[in-house]
Amino acid sequence: MSRDGWRKKASEDDGWGGRGGYMAAKISKLEEQFQKDAPREKQKDGTSSCIFSGVAIYVNGYTDPSADELRRLMMLHGGQFHLYYTRSKTTHIIATNLPNSKIQELKGEKVVRPEWITDSIKAGCQLSYVQYQLYAKQKSLNFTSICARGKQDLSSTNDPFKPNPSHPQSDSIKNGSCSIIEEDAERPRVNGIHDGDDDDACALLPRGSQDTSLTNGYVHPVNGALKPQDSFAEHSPHVVDIGSHQSHLPQTESRDREEPSCSSAGSKSNFHQRSLISTASPAKQPGLHSMQKDLHPKPTSNPGTSAAPQKGNLHDQTRVRLNGSYHMTPNSSNLADSSHQPGRSGKGAEAGVISEFFSHSRLHHISTWRNEFSEYVNALQSRRRAAGGAVFSGKEKLKKLKANCSSGSLMAAPQVRQSCILHVDMDCFFVSVGIRHRPDLIGKPVAVTSNRGPGRVAQRPGSNPQLEFQYYQRKQKQYRKEVPSNGVDLDLAALSMAEIASCSYEARQAGVRNGMFFGRAKQLCPDLQSVPYDFQAYKEVALSMYETLASYTHNIEALSCDEALVDATNLLVELGVTPDDLARAIREDIKEKTGCSASVGMGSNILLARMATRKAKPNGQYFLRSEEVDDFIRDQPVSSLPGVGRSMSSKLTSLRVSTCGDLQQLSISRLQREFGPRTGQMLFRFCRGLYDRPVRSEKERKSVSAEMNYNIRFTQVEEAETFLTNLSMEVQKRLEGAGLRGRRITLKVMVRKPGAPVEPAKYGGHGICDNFARSVSLAQPTDSGQLIAAEAIKLFHAMKLDVKDMRGVGLQVQQLEGSHADPSGQGPSRGRSIKDLLLAKQPAHSPKKDPLAPQGWSSVIRTGVTPPSSPPSTSSDPMPGTSKGGLHHPHTLNHVRTCLNVSIEVPSPSQVDQSVLEALPVDIRKQVEQSWRHREEQPSTSSHLSTPPRTSSSPPPGPSLGTLVLQLPNQLGQPCTTGFILELPDFSQVDPDVFAALPRELQEELCSAYRNKGNTQAHVQAQSSAENVQCPSSSSTDVPETLSKFNPRPVPTLAGAYEFSDIRTLLREWVTTISEPMEEDILQVVKFCTELVEDKDLEKLYLVIKYMKRLMQQSSESVWSMAFDFILDNVQVVVQQTYGSTLKIT
Amino acid sequence: MRLWLAYPVKCGFTELNGCCIYFGYFSMAALTRQDLNFGQVAADILCEFLEVAIHLILYVREIYPSGIFQKRKKYNVPVQMSCHPELNQYIQDTLHCVKPLIEKNEAEKVVVVIMDKEHHPVERFVFEISQPPLLSISSETLLSHVEQLLRAMILKISVCDAVLDNNPSGCTFTVLVHTREAATRNMEKVQVIKDFPWIVADEQEVHMEEAKLIPLKTMTSDILKMQLYVEERTQKT
Repeated sequence: MSRDGWRKKASEDDGWGGRGGYMAAKISKLEEQFQKDAPREKQKDGTSSCIFSGVAIYVNGYTDPSADELRRLMMLHGGQFHLYYTRSKTTHIIATNLPNSKIQELKGEKVVRPEWITDSIKAGCQLSYVQYQLYAKQKSLNFTSICARGKQDLSSTNDPFKPNPSHPQSDSIKNGSCSIIEEDAERPRVNGIHDGDDDDACALLPRGSQDTSLTNGYVHPVNGALKPQDSFAEHSPHVVDIGSHQSHLPQTESRDREEPSCSSAGSKSNFHQRSLISTASPAKQPGLHSMQKDLHPKPTSNPGTSAAPQKGNLHDQTRVRLNGSYHMTPNSSNLADSSHQPGRSGKGAEAGVISEFFSHSRLHHISTWRNEFSEYVNALQSRRRAAGGAVFSGKEKLKKLKANCSSGSLMAAPQVRQSCILHVDMDCFFVSVGIRHRPDLIGKPVAVTSNRGPGRVAQRPGSNPQLEFQYYQRKQKQYRKEVPSNGVDLDLAALSMAEIASCSYEARQAGVRNGMFFGRAKQLCPDLQSVPYDFQAYKEVALSMYETLASYTHNIEALSCDEALVDATNLLVELGVTPDDLARAIREDIKEKTGCSASVGMGSNILLARMATRKAKPNGQYFLRSEEVDDFIRDQPVSSLPGVGRSMSSKLTSLRVSTCGDLQQLSISRLQREFGPRTGQMLFRFCRGLYDRPVRSEKERKSVSAEMNYNIRFTQVEEAETFLTNLSMEVQKRLEGAGLRGRRITLKVMVRKPGAPVEPAKYGGHGICDNFARSVSLAQPTDSGQLIAAEAIKLFHAMKLDVKDMRGVGLQVQQLEGSHADPSGQGPSRGRSIKDLLLAKQPAHSPKKDPLAPQGWSSVIRTGVTPPSSPPSTSSDPMPGTSKGGLHHPHTLNHVRTCLNVSIEVPSPSQVDQSVLEALPVDIRKQVEQSWRHREEQPSTSSHLSTPPRTSSSPPPGPSLGTLVLQLPNQLGQPCTTGFILELPDFSQVDPDVFAALPRELQEELCSAYRNKGNTQAHVQAQSSAENVQCPSSSSTDVPETLSKFNPRPVPTLAGAYEFSDIRTLLREWVTTISEPMEEDILQVVKFCTELVEDKDLEKLYLVIKYMKRLMQQSSESVWSMAFDFILDNVQVVVQQTYGSTLKIT
Repeated sequence: MRLWLAYPVKCGFTELNGCCIYFGYFSMAALTRQDLNFGQVAADILCEFLEVAIHLILYVREIYPSGIFQKRKKYNVPVQMSCHPELNQYIQDTLHCVKPLIEKNEAEKVVVVIMDKEHHPVERFVFEISQPPLLSISSETLLSHVEQLLRAMILKISVCDAVLDNNPSGCTFTVLVHTREAATRNMEKVQVIKDFPWIVADEQEVHMEEAKLIPLKTMTSDILKMQLYVEERTQKT
């Protein structure tokens, strides 16, 4: 009935007198009732007040808290609650959502969100309803922009587009916060304040300090520009987390923008080229040289010019483009290493080659510099923390300077606290470092490259540059209409393909670009001087740049060797100088210390600072003021935004978008439709200059990898295997270096594309390749090279490749966890034993603890290097060969933990090749031998025990059981798949908090362990009662029941995603980006679906299936349809087994 | 696993006078007590929900004439509730017996079976109850959160006719409970309500030929995990 209120009112006006009379009577009766109930309610609750006296509310539609609750609250706090709306009596309408027609109808009424009531009660007085108004009264003017400001706060634009009014609602709901929508023109009337658009931000955030700025008559003259500066500082806490789901952006961005002045692909290929030349130089590695001779019948390698390698340059460059996707991974510094294997064809087999290579590769160094500088900054920070303060020489100097000319212009510095980010970027870093001791070259076109000859090389046999060039040209055409010129035409195969890593501004004027081939550049600019690489100098200069920055503040984020972000917000406030002064000081300092010039861009966030740098270059500085942002960004090309690469900008061009201003015209829903939810929102925010990633000095690694795709030429499978082993060792080294362990191992292989020339144009390069990848998940995170190698070799064999066609191999370890197993540490995910955690809180309460049993037992040991493939044996004969023996011998806690991490299953002595054993490192060998010794002891011990079944998984209930705990599941007559369950404390001892804090896998393991324990005990109990023996501890029978209350399951995830929206995004990306699904991925999806069935989440399963059906059957590739059918069939089988019927898919 | 079924009532719809006050708000006070029994709270909430859901299913699937239903508000959304005392009593009695099972986590599924004239099931509304990943009543938001989830489920039921085919005329319904094995003994021994016995369900009433499964909703909260799906006979007539 209540929702007919509107119509009723209308009908009253129409003159339905009788009805109105009835209604009036009813309403007054309801009011009476309300008055009668109120005292009772007050009595009951005890907390009452009169803050709402004179207020009569009418609740429209669904609200939170519900209408009933609001009614109760109004009773308690002296208000009136109207079940029917009357214009004359009802003072406020409470609603969270209203359709447009009602908004129109309610013009002039006070429509307020329910928070007004709850907040007023909290505040103890009737707050102004103004901030809680649901909608503005006038016609729907730029809802979205206001709404967007409400949630993003940084938004400064007057949105030109006006979507339908329902849009903001959904927007605000989606973001989990109800933003208040209010119009500027309205508020001044209400508040008596005149201010611009900007204060909307204040008005929109209902709580906290904003109230004051709203009511104290604060006048802000800026209209349509960025929000007031002080309000930003105040608001920022509220908005910090808004863009957090965009966290993938920074990574992409930072990779993409290593050299903002040139295309990212170009800059990466520079690295490749550099390393190639530096490492493949035959003069340096004579042994190598002869090796190459063997493989190439007519070697043309010329030590002087290193001509051959340059030829293949094209490949490297293009390879980056082809594989670009994985270069975007956060650790791409490692991936970028890929092509720098010294030229030892197929000789990865040689021990130490890989580590030697990586330790010599200069590119490797450059790419790790960023990490190094990050660590440097971190070290600075921790040192300061330890010392309780640091001396910032630069800061002090600046302070003095300011004191000296305190009467001067510096005094004008605003005291307002506003976030300010400095983006410091050296001007053509490699060039300016290269010529800093050669004043003769200043002002001349200079390029850094390895080639100093005429720029021509001879052609090698077996290669077919033309064919490859055509291939890449075709490839490129997919991205843009006109083939981008690296300036190569077909006869250029003879020109030098050495790339220009960096060129001076003079050279740039002549049309030379970074990443261009030297031969071509020389044609464009005949006086082009080339400067060799000087890696030592680069490092020195970069280090002194960072030192300079660190002398001001430690809020530095290292982006690359020549680029850093500085959060100067606090510094500026402390010093009271303007950003410009600071930037000038920093630049002077850098110039003085390094002899190279730097440009500084400043803005209120990282994005703006970077854009400002672009304007500042060369050798300048630019402060992008908040009020200028709008005008500035409107004219920026979209390609200048981070994350907008070639394919996205071509897509944007097709939407007729070329500048950020154009982009601003597109609605967020449109963008999200075109680019996906995340990218869409990212673009939406970027083109408005919004970016809320803070400057941070530490970055979390997502994966660790090592990859080589230069000079991989295997002839035999063994070579490949040895190579994989060595590569695994390199990965191990890196994992250890980073202090991490990974759970997922991915093997990536590049294989010569069928039909591609056997010998690519680039010497030792990989040519045109297909990429394959396979991964496997381990039970335990590992950093053991051997384990990784074993898995990698398994994966490798599963791929069934022709080793001769392999051109690149990469190993990547993901799902990283820290490996610093600190005995007292809190991290449950660090491979600590379950028992440690369980007993952490009640160490004293374990009277049953076995004194001899090692405390650090890992409860479950699994996944071995060499699975002994032991069949489930019911025989009571404890054959060592069939036991799933772990490394179980009394050891110190630490030692056992290492064992666990390595997760090696030790086969019985008879199964082990003695030579293999000897080849093992000494400590591992000892462990293995010890484990054998231990195993030998066990059978004999067990024979003394009269009740073997009980011992394995239950705590020894009494002293009669002796002091040895056995771990031989085979003896139990149970399938040996159970693994080891050692010495679990009694369930009652388990602290639920600790249990809850465990990672899901552990919880699951533990539960199954207890369940097994329960089974075993039940079994024992049945047996013993049959034998008329006293039951073992009666408490143990409670375990299964108690356990049933604890029944944690891991939430099924698909590649880490478990929210449906994330899964959808993942699936869409999968289907849209890949033309042919890989079997392994399909199986992953099937597994995920199966898990969903097991998790009893049919709804999600249904949604996932339906979504896949839509996606895959729409796909033009029939392979996807088949993939869907395959998935569906498999899922239906599982559903059929579980539920006896199949899903109805329409 | 055994299946139990409560005797269906044959209802005549002549007296439509009794209208009770339907659902109260579940008591907030009960949850502030220290010695709270999770199982009881969950069972209370669940049974309350099941009652609403069964009424709504009967209405949506048109088992009884729509005249016996009245619109009420529950979980802040409109629901339909039958006014027929005997039907209401039957549903209440059924749930009364189910409640102890749920409390002890012995009920796996509560199924509302809709059968045609020959007593072959045409539709089964299965409420599959499982333990939540972690039992805890810690947050203040618990109840409203559960309420939201239950509301979503109710809304799903009220629109489920969109994904289901029409039932043949003359359908009846019954309620089945899938219990865990251990519960059977108690079921036989103890009658929670006198003269309301449970019997093991016939295969005929449980088994459905060529059923299609349509998941409706899954909810997971701190105290309750439940999913609702419908099994529908491919050929209904």
